[in-house]
Amino acid sequence: MAADPIHQFQITKLVDFGQVTLPLFGKTDLAFTNSHLAMTIAFVLIVGFLTIVTSNMQVVPGRTQAVGEQLFSMIDNLGESIIGHEGKKLFPFVFTIFSFILAMNIIGLLLTFTVTSQLAVTATFGLMTIALVIIIGFAKHGLGFFKLFVPSGVPIVLLPVIVLIEFVSFLLRPVTLALRLFGNMLGGHVALKVFAGFVVALGALAAGGGIGLLGIPGAALSLSMVVALTALECLVAFLQAFVFAVLTCIYLNDVVNLGHGH
Amino acid sequence: MAEAAETLTTSTEQPEASAGLPQFQFQHWAGQIAYLLILFVILYVLMLRVFAPRIRRIFDQRETTINDAIASARQVQAEAAAQAEAARTALAGARGKAQKTASDAKAKAEAEAKARQAVEEAKLNERLAVAETEIRAARDSAMANVNTVATETAQAIIEKLTGKAASNDQLDAALAKLQG
Repeated sequence: MAADPIHQFQITKLVDFGQVTLPLFGKTDLAFTNSHLAMTIAFVLIVGFLTIVTSNMQVVPGRTQAVGEQLFSMIDNLGESIIGHEGKKLFPFVFTIFSFILAMNIIGLLLTFTVTSQLAVTATFGLMTIALVIIIGFAKHGLGFFKLFVPSGVPIVLLPVIVLIEFVSFLLRPVTLALRLFGNMLGGHVALKVFAGFVVALGALAAGGGIGLLGIPGAALSLSMVVALTALECLVAFLQAFVFAVLTCIYLNDVVNLGHGH
Repeated sequence: MAEAAETLTTSTEQPEASAGLPQFQFQHWAGQIAYLLILFVILYVLMLRVFAPRIRRIFDQRETTINDAIASARQVQAEAAAQAEAARTALAGARGKAQKTASDAKAKAEAEAKARQAVEEAKLNERLAVAETEIRAARDSAMANVNTVATETAQAIIEKLTGKAASNDQLDAALAKLQG
C-alpha cells in the first residue's frame, strides 16, 4: 500500500545539527524535527491563546475570555475537588500538562505531526508527574511517604501482599499514564489512516472500470468512517488530556493528603 | 538508555524499512524529551507567574464585584424597607392626629354646646324664678287683698245685719277659723 499507516509517526529531520554528546543522554542526533516543530506550534498556540485571554480581562468576559476561563476553572475545580485546598498550589502544573497535551492532541489531529503519539513524549509526561508525586511525598512527609504503600485497616497477615501490590501499582502508574495516551493517539491515527487509505485504494479500483466499480460504495463507506472517526478522535483528544489531568490530580492527592485521604 | 539508543541506532539505520513502530527509534528520543522538558518548564513558569495569577485576579475581582453589588442591593432594599416603615409610621401618626383632631373638635363642640345650653338653661331658670316670684308675689298680694276684701265684706255684712260694726279682732278670729 502506498500510504503506510505507520509512516505518519516517522520522525524526519527538518534542520540537522549533527551529532553531539549530551551529558545525560550520551551521543545524540541533535536536530529540529517535525516533532519539535509540532511541539513548538502547540506551545505557541497555548501561550498565544492564554495571552489573548488574559491580556485584557473584563469582569464580564467576552467570548475568548469565557473559553479560557472555562478551561481554567474546569481544571481548577478538578484540582480543588480531588486534592482540596492545596489543589490551588499544584494547579499550574496540572494545567500546564492538560493544556500541553490538549494542544498537541488537537494540532496532531487537525494540523500537523502528532507529538502525543510519540512514546518518548508521553513517557516524559508520565515520569514528570510521578517525579512530582515522589518529590512532594518526600518533601511533605519525609520517610512517612512510604505509608502510601501501607493502607490503614489492613490485617497484619495480608499486609506483605498488600504492600507488594501497592508498590507495584505505584511503579506502574507512570507506565499506564504514558501508554494510555500513547495507545489512544496511535490507535486513533492508525485507524484514520487505514480508512483514508481504503478510500484511495477503492477509488483507484473503481477508476479501472468494470467490476472495479463495486469499489465506489466501499470508498463512500470508508469516507464516512473517516468523518465519524475524526469526530470521535476530537473527543478522544480532549478526553485523554482530561484523563491525564484527572489522574495527575489523583496521584498528587495521594501524597498531598497522605494518611487522611484514603 | 544510551546503550539502548546506540544499539537501536545501528539496527534501524534505514528507518523506511518496516522496522516496527517509528516511536521505538530511540535515536530520536533524547532530542524530543529535552525539547519537551524545556518547553514544559517555560510553559509552567508562564502559568505560575503570568496566566494563573491574571485569571485568579479577575475571578477575585468578579467575586468582589458581585458581592459588592449584592451588598449594595441589600442596603438599598433595607433603605427602601426603612423608608416604607417610616412612611407607614407617618401615615399612622397622621391618621391618629386626624382622629384626635376630629375627636377634639367634637368634644369642643359638645362642650360649647353644653355650655351654651347651660347658659340658656340658667337664663331660663332665672326667668322662671323671676316669673315664679312675681306670680307668688301677685298671688300673695291677691291673697292679702282677698283677706282684706273678706274682712271688709264681712264687716259690711255684719253691720247691715246687726247694725253695729264688728271689731277687727273678732273678724280676724273668724277668718282664721275659716281658713284653718
